[in-house]
Amino acid sequence: MTPRGAGGALGALLAGALWLTSGAAAHEPARMPAPDFVPPPPGTYTLERIMAAPDGEVLGLDGRPQRLGAFTHERITVLGFIYTTCVDPDGCPRAYQVFDAVHEAVAAAPALRERVRLVTLSFDPARDTPSMMRRYAGSRARPGPVPWLFLTTRSARELMPLLEGFGQDIRYTTDRSSGAPRRELAHVLKVFLIDRAGFVREIYSSEFLYRRTVLNDIETLMLEERAR
Amino acid sequence: MLMPHRFRNAIVLVLTCGIIAVAAVAARADETCNSPYVTKLIKGQEDYVYVWALGVDGLGDGSDKLVTVDVNPKSKTYGKVLNSVSVGTRGEAHHMGFTDDRRFIWAGGLSEPKIYVFDIGTDPGKPKLVKTIGDMADKTGYLGPHTYYAMPGRMLVQALSNTKDKGGRTGMALYNNAGEFVASYPMPTDGGGDGYGYDLAVNPRKNVLLTSSFTGYDNYMRPLGEVVKDQEAMKRFGNTMVVWDLKAMKPKTVLAVPGTPLEIRWSLKQGDDWAITATALTSKLWLVKQDKGEWRAKEVATIGDPAKIPLPVDISITRDGKGLWVNTFMDGTTRYFDLSNPEAPKETYQKVTGKQVNMISQSWDGRRVYITSSLLANWDKDGADNEQFLRGFRWNGKELTPAFEVDFAKEKLGRAHHMKLGSKSLRSASTTQ
Repeated sequence: MTPRGAGGALGALLAGALWLTSGAAAHEPARMPAPDFVPPPPGTYTLERIMAAPDGEVLGLDGRPQRLGAFTHERITVLGFIYTTCVDPDGCPRAYQVFDAVHEAVAAAPALRERVRLVTLSFDPARDTPSMMRRYAGSRARPGPVPWLFLTTRSARELMPLLEGFGQDIRYTTDRSSGAPRRELAHVLKVFLIDRAGFVREIYSSEFLYRRTVLNDIETLMLEERAR
Repeated sequence: MLMPHRFRNAIVLVLTCGIIAVAAVAARADETCNSPYVTKLIKGQEDYVYVWALGVDGLGDGSDKLVTVDVNPKSKTYGKVLNSVSVGTRGEAHHMGFTDDRRFIWAGGLSEPKIYVFDIGTDPGKPKLVKTIGDMADKTGYLGPHTYYAMPGRMLVQALSNTKDKGGRTGMALYNNAGEFVASYPMPTDGGGDGYGYDLAVNPRKNVLLTSSFTGYDNYMRPLGEVVKDQEAMKRFGNTMVVWDLKAMKPKTVLAVPGTPLEIRWSLKQGDDWAITATALTSKLWLVKQDKGEWRAKEVATIGDPAKIPLPVDISITRDGKGLWVNTFMDGTTRYFDLSNPEAPKETYQKVTGKQVNMISQSWDGRRVYITSSLLANWDKDGADNEQFLRGFRWNGKELTPAFEVDFAKEKLGRAHHMKLGSKSLRSASTTQ
């Protein structure tokens, strides 16, 4: 069975966007995990509208309250939750690595840089204050062609509706493996791809979170918009 | 899905107190046969077995129900029913599945396009019916939701039939975790596809979704004795498996697997990329694996004496991919196959565990095995052979030893079908490692 090819109207755009897929394959950074499969080409598949991205109050690096909805519309958004103290290599650091790679690729692509943003939102308002998030972001938060927002919330009461709305699971545990009890917050890595209308179109678990798959999906959304 | 207030408040308290944060990736697999996206693997002693039971007219309230059984040997109520939640109707209760966060169980019946959502996160020992999804037929035309397979943030539901002619042509419905319909995917009818569906299972590492095929409402709701005598009806059973591009949700290859392939199990061993299934009508084990880049299906073993139609039903793979339990319904036998060489499985053990047996589940360590009795309301045996039970066994690698039994008829609970394991430690937002 042969997958349907992209329509003729999309052909030119696909050809013009080949830099992205070929570049992603050719320049996968060292130590960056690569998929053990060949992802379908951009535009040959549909990203379903899974759900509307939730809205709520967040804090930017300047500490001012803003609506998250301002950062999930108008541009294609890649959003992930993190903790600044997270050390699990398959969790937040892995997401950070992929975000870095996607940010770099999008910034280098004139067709994308005006249409994509990245959002990193903290799970841990008690620890991750705006000043902590500023230190965590470092040079990544500097203004540039591809916005990368580092956000937190004032308290758990503001955070919870966002977690619930995204379906981001967290779990409170006590780790006694090292002797002294240590409270932890466990979560499953999820990264959300949100279209310009604010709909979640893909949810990446660790098995699907690769630079190449994210870039393919961004391209697919752009092809979808141009085909309308 | 709305988060229960109790759960939300607990998390708010935890977050407000400040915590050390860690991330956890989704478990590669759950108690050996769930979606790899389901989290919170129970690697120790499970506390509960949830049994999705078919209602029986005149037995209790006659409705389908989710039954919670205490299976922790250290508990004072070990082997006892803790509670049951009736859905108030009888719709041929069949299978169920966890959401990816393991806070909810989705369950459904084969005679109606309804899906029931139970909250098991707020109090794992006391599930609560929190939602009924009733739009599958309107949205898709599919009937008989069967397999509930967690995907990140959503649930992929494999149906068995359709509302138009109640035959076997069907498809998969995708819902988000809030129970809102997202999309549907028809089973292929070209390239050798028969359009039938049964189970689905994902290998994310290979970007592969694998599906199997059974039959439609017009067969599975008829008495089995009638169906087997009806030559035209017997032609309306699935003989295929389909390899899908998971990311694109498009069928890639139709595999010929004659004799109705049912449950699908991917090997859980890291680096293994093969799946195994049992064919109900031909009593064979089939291996699905890549050969020179192409996915192929290959018959690798015989289950019992196919001439006697033992009717293999559920299978359960060990966590290391080295062993496979196979239940055969007609002879009530539980068989163990050595899968050290998946190209040539060998039966190494068998035991009659009931007059009729269907589903089989094992703990992560393989030491505890659970078996239920019911296949379908109209396919179960009659009279004294119609035992209805949940039986727990201990397995030491050589012998299955009975541990406890719940008589579902005596307890007026109905026909015991699908099982899922639960744990007190999975109470949302308050667990301890």
